[in-house]
Amino acid sequence: MISDIVAIIRDYWLLLLIGQYPNGPLGGLAATLMLSVLAIAFAFPVSIALALARLSKSPFLNWPVTALVYFTRGVPLLMLILWGYFLVPLVTGANVPAFLTMLVTLVVYQGAFLSEVVRGGIVALGHGQMEAARALGHSYLGAMRYVILPQALYNVIPSIISVFVATIKDTTLGYVINVPDLTFAASQINNQLLTQPFQVFFILAAVYYVICWSLSRVAVLTERRITRRRAGTAPQPTAKSLKLAALTDQPS
Amino acid sequence: MNTTVPSNNSPMIQLKGVRKSYGLYEVLKGIDAEVARGEVVVICGPSGSGKSTLIRTVNRLEEIGSGSIVCDGNNIHQPMPARELNLLRSRIGFVFQSFNLFPHLSAIDNIAISPIRVKGVPREAAYAKATQLLERVGLADKAHAYPGQLSGGQQQRVAIARALAMEPPVMLFDEPTSALDPEMVGEVLAVMKGLAADGMTMMCVTHEMGFARDVADRVWFIDQGQIIESAPPDEFFSRPQTTRAQRFLSDLRH
Ligand SMILES: Nc1ncnc2c1ncn2[C@@H]1O[C@H](COP(=O)(O)OP(=O)(O)OP(=O)(O)O)[C@@H](O)[C@H]1O
Ligand SMILES: [Mg+2]
Repeated sequence: MISDIVAIIRDYWLLLLIGQYPNGPLGGLAATLMLSVLAIAFAFPVSIALALARLSKSPFLNWPVTALVYFTRGVPLLMLILWGYFLVPLVTGANVPAFLTMLVTLVVYQGAFLSEVVRGGIVALGHGQMEAARALGHSYLGAMRYVILPQALYNVIPSIISVFVATIKDTTLGYVINVPDLTFAASQINNQLLTQPFQVFFILAAVYYVICWSLSRVAVLTERRITRRRAGTAPQPTAKSLKLAALTDQPS
Repeated sequence: MNTTVPSNNSPMIQLKGVRKSYGLYEVLKGIDAEVARGEVVVICGPSGSGKSTLIRTVNRLEEIGSGSIVCDGNNIHQPMPARELNLLRSRIGFVFQSFNLFPHLSAIDNIAISPIRVKGVPREAAYAKATQLLERVGLADKAHAYPGQLSGGQQQRVAIARALAMEPPVMLFDEPTSALDPEMVGEVLAVMKGLAADGMTMMCVTHEMGFARDVADRVWFIDQGQIIESAPPDEFFSRPQTTRAQRFLSDLRH
């Protein structure tokens, strides 16, 4: 059993890592990570924009975004992916790569979910902070950027991380529109071996687990560092400690 | 900007026929009053009489229904672009009952952030000024403490320093000591006394009658949305004209 798994990894590690590349598109774990990172990197700012739009008093901003959020939250992600895959080329006539379809769908879908988390964090903060900032002359957006969001986002870090983890897991759905990611590579291997589905998909599960677990760890550590800094118990950062932090703490 | 250059003897704050309603309930029923330059006005009155609402209309944290408010030569409630209103607000210091310090920033960052982000003051100048202000409110040693590590009295003193950092010609206080434990009231009042002594124009909602007696040039007594007495403190305290003010003062003493 374990030797099977080792053998599979030995024989197929390159496929699992980068898919058919360079003979085909970049795939495997590399594609999964790229899709995850890009989806999160875009969904996060999108979610803040959506949250601000929903908090806006202007019906032109508020209304369509509210509709979008309700719609997105009420429809299974798989539906959105299939619609995007079949409808967009039909309507626009453009040949959209599956990777891009998947990315955009994930950004919209997770952005909508995340916007509710962000909005909750902002609302939970109460009026006092915004009033204090406005009384000092900050613009609405300035107050958001320097006063409200740093607190609101910090307070909802655990929920934000749940959405990030969900995003990574949801990249597996790209399989249905042939995005050549890690799941796709694993099922290719499974189709070749035919007899070892448990072993193949065990590897798949283990890799996703490690990715998601690492992300949670990074989040917990980040949160702790912010907490310590805000409680003032951390020593004032010096040039040296900053350089050290750059070497040891940066996930990228 | 709507700067009709204020002459030195024009009032700092001028309220004319200010009315405001929440729904059908009229909170301010025609306020006419003036605060001269360098004057300290204490506003008192029963709970719900409209003191907070009134003081919050001066920097337009609340809109008004009708009337006008001119502060330092600027007509605060006329239609204007958001940028201009932000600029006007930055020139009116406001101190809240609940401090409202920014909990994610240290004391000195709380003070320096607005000069940097709103006025574009260079960082070094802003921090030098913030250090000075912390000294002025007696908290030089707390520069890097976070609000959560400060007592109520210390937080309120930082909040005053934060407002002063924008160099406003006028300061508004809405019950600055009401949320404090009794032993901390004195340290905040002392800072406010110092400000008054330096010639700051101040409008101050408070029930600290000792402060009113020592520092105020004038006391406004508000009841049911109207200023029904306006007099120098010794006159107001020794010879209140209306029965409502008499009752209010005797309630305070007991
Ligand atoms: N946002 C609001 N919506 C509706 N009514 C309000 C609102 N804010 C204040 N009021 C009402 O307006 C009246 C005046 O309120 P205000 O806060 O100005 O009183 P106050 O004199 O400051 O009282 P206190 O001494 O309790 O602080 C009160 O009856 C209050 O219930
Ligand atoms: Mg009040």
